[in-house]
Amino acid sequence: MTDELLVVRAQLGERAALAELLARWRVPVWTYVRRMLDADRADDVTQEVWLAVVRGLPRLREPGRFAPWLFTIARRSVTDRLRGEYARPEEAWEVDEEVTEDPVEAMVDRAALVSVLAALPAPEREILVLFYLEDLPVEECAHICRIPAGTVKSRLNRARRLLREQLEEKGHRP
Amino acid sequence: MTEEPRLSAQDLIERLAPALSRRTRIGAVATLLAGVAGAVFMVTLWWSEPGPLPDRTQVAFAVLTVFCVAWAGYGGWLLTRRVVLFATDQVIAAWIGLAASLATTAVVTMTAVQRGTGVGLPLAVGGLFVAVALALAVRAHARQAALLRRLRELTDREEQ
Repeated sequence: MTDELLVVRAQLGERAALAELLARWRVPVWTYVRRMLDADRADDVTQEVWLAVVRGLPRLREPGRFAPWLFTIARRSVTDRLRGEYARPEEAWEVDEEVTEDPVEAMVDRAALVSVLAALPAPEREILVLFYLEDLPVEECAHICRIPAGTVKSRLNRARRLLREQLEEKGHRP
Repeated sequence: MTEEPRLSAQDLIERLAPALSRRTRIGAVATLLAGVAGAVFMVTLWWSEPGPLPDRTQVAFAVLTVFCVAWAGYGGWLLTRRVVLFATDQVIAAWIGLAASLATTAVVTMTAVQRGTGVGLPLAVGGLFVAVALALAVRAHARQAALLRRLRELTDREEQ
């Protein structure tokens, strides 16, 4: 059953569909929140995200775009708690257009990726989580982060470079 | 990546229960309707009182009206910020609202007739409430119909 069908059924008031939707997206939402925040806050924020999702669900006009809408809500809750870390001026990373080799694609062990993610700045960490761990396309990452697709690409590029540096520091050879 | 969420799906559903509870939804709709109907009724009584009223009575009417408006505001806040009304709930709530608007209009009009004041204003105010409730009912039905149509399309597509 597609997400859209589940969302439509939930919008009509079917509790089982809502429970199924929650069961399906519980771990992806938590993964995003946990990779952005510490373990102590992850569960509370995840609960807050789901409360906002349930309250906003009747007003969701495009049920087919549930995933980006869900992560937009999750991102809002996360950024509320990481306001300081998102405060960097955008121009500083817009200029980073040099293509960097992708160390993530070469990493078979995703656990190693997770272990170094925490060391990256919030905007780069977020884009890696959405793109690699949540498997969202660039366009949806752009929609969720409210930035142009080009900025997503340059941010991904910078994130890969930072990730490579972190991996090299830890002695990991992709 | 062995770390997992501490809250199971069932835990999450249980924590969301207050926002999804039928009792809370009915309570919020009832609070809003009772507040609005009470305020309209109090204003009608106040307005249709024959002769000049003592200051204390004026204050009592004003306090009771503010009390009803406050309950209506609280009900409205619950419905827009705290309680979740899905499409089917919205249809039911809109019909309850329409019934309450008609009943309130009938009561305030009868009160005005009994007291010998004009029925124009009660009918106009009641008519406004009925029109708003009717518009909400039409909108709720349209939204529900659109969702049911989409549900059929998606179900047919999945069955093919």
